[in-house]
Amino acid sequence: MTATRDLVADQREQFAFHDDIDYLAQTKRGLTRATVEEISGFKNEPDWMLQYRLRAYEHFMKRPLPTWTDGLDRINFDNIVYYRKPSEREEKSWDDVPDKIKATFERLGIPEAERKFLAGVGAQYDSEVVYHSVKEELSKLGVVFMGTDQALIEYPEIFRKHFGTVVPAEDNKFSALNSAVWSGGSFVYVPKGVEVPLPLQAYFRINGENTGQFERTLIVVDEGAKVHYIEGCTAPIYATESLHVAVVEVVALPGSKVRYTTIQNWSNDVYNLVTKRAHAYENSTVEWIDANTGSRKTVKYPSIYLRGENATADIISVAVAGKGQHQDTGAKAVHLAPNTKSRIVSKSVSKDGGRATYRGHLKVSPGATNVVASVRCDALMLDDISRSDTYPYIDIQEDDTTMTHEATVGKISAEQVFYLMSRGLTENEAQNLIVQGFLEVFTKELPMEYAIEFNRLVKLEMEGSLG
Amino acid sequence: MIDATPEATPAAPVRPTRAPRRAPNELTFILDERLVESAAARAPDWLAADRRAAFARYRALPIETNQLYTTYVDLRMADLAAVIPWEAPAARPDAPGPALPEGAAGYAALTEDQIESLALDDETRDAGVIVDSLEGLIARDETLARRLLGDQASLPLDDKLAQLTRAGWNQGVVVHVPAGVRLERPIVIRWRVGEPGRGLLTRTILDLGEGASASIVEELEASDGALDRTGAQALFTGSLEVHLATGARLDIASIQNLAANTVAFQHRQAEVGEGATLHWALAQLGGRLVRSRVDNRLAGNRSSVEQVEIIFGAGDQLFDLTSYTRHTGRDTTGNLLSKAALMDATRSYMKGLIIIEPTAVGTDSFLGEFGMNLSRQARAVAIPSLEIDQPDCRRAAHSSAVGPIDETQLFYLESRGIDPEEARKFIVLGFLEPVVARVPLVSAQDTLRELLEAKWDAGAAAASAAPAA
Repeated sequence: MTATRDLVADQREQFAFHDDIDYLAQTKRGLTRATVEEISGFKNEPDWMLQYRLRAYEHFMKRPLPTWTDGLDRINFDNIVYYRKPSEREEKSWDDVPDKIKATFERLGIPEAERKFLAGVGAQYDSEVVYHSVKEELSKLGVVFMGTDQALIEYPEIFRKHFGTVVPAEDNKFSALNSAVWSGGSFVYVPKGVEVPLPLQAYFRINGENTGQFERTLIVVDEGAKVHYIEGCTAPIYATESLHVAVVEVVALPGSKVRYTTIQNWSNDVYNLVTKRAHAYENSTVEWIDANTGSRKTVKYPSIYLRGENATADIISVAVAGKGQHQDTGAKAVHLAPNTKSRIVSKSVSKDGGRATYRGHLKVSPGATNVVASVRCDALMLDDISRSDTYPYIDIQEDDTTMTHEATVGKISAEQVFYLMSRGLTENEAQNLIVQGFLEVFTKELPMEYAIEFNRLVKLEMEGSLG
Repeated sequence: MIDATPEATPAAPVRPTRAPRRAPNELTFILDERLVESAAARAPDWLAADRRAAFARYRALPIETNQLYTTYVDLRMADLAAVIPWEAPAARPDAPGPALPEGAAGYAALTEDQIESLALDDETRDAGVIVDSLEGLIARDETLARRLLGDQASLPLDDKLAQLTRAGWNQGVVVHVPAGVRLERPIVIRWRVGEPGRGLLTRTILDLGEGASASIVEELEASDGALDRTGAQALFTGSLEVHLATGARLDIASIQNLAANTVAFQHRQAEVGEGATLHWALAQLGGRLVRSRVDNRLAGNRSSVEQVEIIFGAGDQLFDLTSYTRHTGRDTTGNLLSKAALMDATRSYMKGLIIIEPTAVGTDSFLGEFGMNLSRQARAVAIPSLEIDQPDCRRAAHSSAVGPIDETQLFYLESRGIDPEEARKFIVLGFLEPVVARVPLVSAQDTLRELLEAKWDAGAAAASAAPAA
């Protein structure tokens, strides 16, 4: 299974490439009202979407940058291209995909993955979904898996009913930015009672220096349905800063089960600012399995709003912060209904001067009786130039909540390293093994080929061989 | 509600009079510069400069400088626009004040406009221990006064309310224990405040020399003129500025049972020297709105602090408590525990931050925040945070839990023939016992137990009198 999707080989260089693409359409650097109109015009969108974008744009311009996390003021919003279109139309068949783009995907291993067993592929090249295919059996089940732009045209009713309901444009400055200039991303609809037998997967790549990427993902899982969605990212390495601002909305209708897995490995110049949120209705289960190893700075707190009785939330968040990186990640669970459950597990590793921050929010609102919630945060620091922060917010407004929270921070035990070295491992190998063990709570939730890939990523991080 | 107005009739249901609309971070009390200048005019130059510098910081600072906590500030219940600070009290009376409480080595009793008593037993006085007002200290030993009162770092420089106190204080007490002196019995400091429409701004300084040891019981009580929560509000601001030299050991217990019309802003900061040990036992019962901050600065190698804090709330009280534990020395220990039992519509914000600096190798630090919501209207917020720059530590952890009264404990007690209501009371008082047990004076321990029990009984009586929801 490993060979089918050999995304990360031992040489990092394999990913550190970019192709010179002739962009057919792109906006000027910087963001104005005209840019937003231009993007909407390129896409021939319905008017309501243009109006939505413009309202979001106004909000983005008004809203100050958040100051509770640092470094965001280094983003130069005027020096970013907000929309690029690598080809004129979406390709239905692999043969029609332009060769240069195809070559990029070849290196990423997508065609093999598709040929073998993957349920569907949505590959994002810069700002547009250029390639998308859904296995026939999924189509027969009525599962919709396509680019978000396409879904806006083809499934206008279900799209409009849910778009922006989980993450409103005004939620934060970056959700407003995404809402104004979004392009690409995946749309998934799973009809009532349908269980998608294999994970749906999308690969994302940023290409083009100073290209922003603003994908928008909307997943609607109807009553009693079940789906696992996997998102993994690799990106070429550039010297100047790149911006990735995404919004992911998940609607888990009564009795459904949704798992969303992310392996985030942006290159170390990317600002990765993502709003991910799910609404969980009665008897549904939502799981965020989220790992962050790349980017210069990631700000991301996958959230679950438990809106219906007996809903369950499960969040596993893992972060590795190396040199020059700040992983500002965490999780949020908001209990709005009785008999809801949540579990948050966070693991972070900081090394070589990296900084890992856990920020979490656990809220039990009035009316949410009989809630059971737990939060567990562990941080490992590999040297004394790195930093680890833990900021959990716990806000309980009912009298029968059972909530526990624990956090620890520490270094690798010298005894463990000594033991492994006495068995013939080098110090680095020993540390690597201990870190992999520490992160296992995450790895064991992954499909096997992803787990192998993730362990390789960690190994590369540990060797300091990532840029 | 425990203090329903007696004149309330069925036609006019008992409801808290809503405060006027204002931003949660708006401070309605404004310290008049003329007041600072008039105090400065009576003070030596260095102290006048200290007040003016604090006043400038007070004016420049926002109410909360830590971005982590800006969403958990709520001063809307504090209606202090009409509050007028007291003038400094007249010189201490010649007549001897009340006798020392039984078992105490020293006693300072202060009301808003008067120093009732400043007393030490002979043995303690002969050992060189000083208990005095701050004016008395300046007159007695200006060098010592300058070291203690003029130490800018003795209160957080980034805290508006701490700087408010520093700029405008109108009363104060100092306890100085010389090097090597070990007091067996505690010194009691009692403040009685709450006159409607008035503000008392105080500084309390505790200074222990090398190898000294002492214990302090601080009692904050309602004065005779204090009112219930519907009356005009009073303001109390108080500091506890602790200086522990090498090897010193200090136990501090504080029992806060101010009147329901009183808004309290408290700042406690300790500089803990090499090998020194500090124990805090803090009980928060009274007041309308209490905003408190404790700063533990573990500067000396092998210094340690243990802090236990309880909140027992009823009615619509808000307890907004923050603690900072900063480890800078090597092999330092911090052990902090906060517990809140909340009746009625009380709120508690328990915010704690452990900071482990790069120099703090070998740190052992723990922070626990536990809440018990006894009513569906109660709200417990816990934000136990860590900022760690040095991983070479023995322990760096926090834990937090919020839960109802444990059904199995209740069942056990009931199976032993204890009435369910009585059983609930035992469990809640047991939850709060850790602070009671740490009060270093038997009579004060008894007082605290009685206060907690009375508050529970009042809450239970109100609950049974209220119509079924």
